[in-house]
Amino acid sequence: MRLNKIIRHALNMVLHAKLRSWLTILGIVIGVGAVISIVSLGETMQKQISSQLGDLGGDLLTLRAGASRASFFGPGREGGGGGASAVSTEDEIVLDKTDLQVLKSVSGIKSIDTQISGQADIYYVAEKGSASVVGVEEATWATVTTSKIAEGRMLGPADTNVIVVGGRIADGFFSRQVGLNQLITIEDRLFRIVGILDDTSSSIYMPIDSAYAILEDKDKDEFDTIIIQVKDEDAINSTMASIEYKLAQKRHVLGKKYDFTLTSNKAVQAQRSEMMGSMTTFLTAIAAVALLVGAVGIANTMFTSVLEKTKEIGIMKAIGARNSDILKIFLIHAALIGLIGGILGLALGYILSGILPSLMSSSGGGPFSRFGSGDAIISLNSVVLAIGISVIIGIVAGTIPAVQASKLKPVDALRYE
Amino acid sequence: MKDNNNRLPLVSLNDVWKIYRMGEVDVPALRGATVDIYKGEFVAIIGQSGSGKSTMMNMVGCLDMPSRGTVMLKSHDISKLSESDLSTLRGKAVGFIFQQYNLIQNMTAFENVMLPLEFLEIDEHEAQAKARKVLESVGLHDKMYHLPSQLSGGQQQRVSIARSLVTDPEIILADEPTGALDSVTGREVLSTLQTLWKKEGKTIIMVTHDLNLARYAQKHVELKDGKVVDIRENNNIIYSDKR
Ligand SMILES: Nc1ncnc2c1ncn2[C@@H]1O[C@H](COP(=O)(O)OP(=O)(O)OP(=O)(O)O)[C@@H](O)[C@H]1O
Ligand SMILES: [Mg+2]
Repeated sequence: MRLNKIIRHALNMVLHAKLRSWLTILGIVIGVGAVISIVSLGETMQKQISSQLGDLGGDLLTLRAGASRASFFGPGREGGGGGASAVSTEDEIVLDKTDLQVLKSVSGIKSIDTQISGQADIYYVAEKGSASVVGVEEATWATVTTSKIAEGRMLGPADTNVIVVGGRIADGFFSRQVGLNQLITIEDRLFRIVGILDDTSSSIYMPIDSAYAILEDKDKDEFDTIIIQVKDEDAINSTMASIEYKLAQKRHVLGKKYDFTLTSNKAVQAQRSEMMGSMTTFLTAIAAVALLVGAVGIANTMFTSVLEKTKEIGIMKAIGARNSDILKIFLIHAALIGLIGGILGLALGYILSGILPSLMSSSGGGPFSRFGSGDAIISLNSVVLAIGISVIIGIVAGTIPAVQASKLKPVDALRYE
Repeated sequence: MKDNNNRLPLVSLNDVWKIYRMGEVDVPALRGATVDIYKGEFVAIIGQSGSGKSTMMNMVGCLDMPSRGTVMLKSHDISKLSESDLSTLRGKAVGFIFQQYNLIQNMTAFENVMLPLEFLEIDEHEAQAKARKVLESVGLHDKMYHLPSQLSGGQQQRVSIARSLVTDPEIILADEPTGALDSVTGREVLSTLQTLWKKEGKTIIMVTHDLNLARYAQKHVELKDGKVVDIRENNNIIYSDKR
């Protein structure tokens, strides 16, 4: 029998057992949908993480006051987290000018950006809002930051009363768009926007001296964060070690628990990637189980179908069907269920992977918060893979029933009622 | 009537045994049946219920294999053919008509008739033309796209006759073709078979336990307890048309 006829007969079989076919297909749809959305979520997260920390961020170290907190999703991005400064103990632990002196004595450091951050009220035309303000060392920030400029310029040496704003401040924060060279009032001072970042943050970056004036709880010459750029990315570990040693010596914590935290972007990035990777693997495994259950469903449906069609198989054999014709009809029947399930599952997965990130971001915190909806990644790979795998699942699950059908003896099959 | 001595039989059963195993006991359905059927014959296989008529028929149609003895179909020993050769032989040389019609329920009359041609991979246009022609010849030109469930028993049997004819087989095998039909419709089916035999030279083998219907056939083969006990010419054939 020709292939087109075989496909037609197989399709007929799918269509004539509507409810059962659809239920079986549903099993595959759920499995494929779960796999697709989870894999896509994983890819989206990986991509976001690497774009956040970027290829540029590999040579950066972040120094904070306070002992290290075990946190995967914690620090690692300059100015992030809005004013999470050192944890106060009875004797407040801070980073100050002496630490900066120590850093300057370490060889292998290319530039240093001292930062403070906090919340501040901002006003534009007649509207008011609250945004995170980051004071940065205006001379070095541009070289150290991983942010990209979308419009205008970065901060530069000798800038005063100017700010660079995150993409959301320019578009979406106020009811009107805020453009370059517009004036914004922060607390009681007027600032001019010289640059808009290519991101979706609502942070405002300004020279650190201006920030001291605005963030009143910050003391002059004390810093929340110090971003260090090393000269040689390959020697980052030894540079880190010598920074830690010298700081510990100076702060008299040598041999004790350090009262500061030095992290490398690279390490944080690797840690997060690994974390995401194992989480994705775990979720994918769960989704794969769903897919397996779907496959069992196909096998079950096929066995039922063979039993139901026994008489028809006998008739077909009596009028000239070969074993291979019967085998092909049933295999393609199973493959079609897989194919339809795969295509619909792909659609479900696509919808889910649009919804999932925004669900996760609304639960707040973590790197998920940066995912907008609609920027889900579904690669061509996963499309081909999903459809290919579900067709293969169909064929594998359908093989035994199909062989069983093809091996039926014509007389026995004809006798079957 | 005809001299068969120097012709090869189309179907030849030689000492054919068929033994079914039912658990621990062997049930012999055929016990050394021997019969030759020649091209152009219209044979009625008669005998009581359980005498082995269907069993014999199934072997002639290559649907079943003998336990012992040889079944020759068109000079092929069916026990020695591969599965796919058997299917092809079955598809080309034999047309089946069953008591219960055995149409595929979710296919239209036309699709049912197309099916044997599809297994033989006949060109689509040619196949459609043949299917249409043969359905017209059994008087179903206006019922082609009906499902079996939308047809009467007699109409369904005509579809199944059309299906058996569409591949233009040499042999038509009919196992109790009128068993599910009333006597008038039954006689119509018999006259159709007779026409095929007389006008188209088909070889027809029909199983029946109704001796009245057997009178349409040219030759009677009588089975008893799995053995052929009598082969005789029917000297007073009923002709459905007197021409
Ligand atoms: N698949 C089978 N398994 C076991 N026994 C069988 C099988 N098929 C037939 N038989 C037995 O073989 C014998 C002959 O059966 P067969 O169907 O050939 O009879 P028949 O002459 O066609 O009868 P009927 O006129 O009732 O159709 C019967 O005794 C039957 O019980
Ligand atoms: Mg019978």
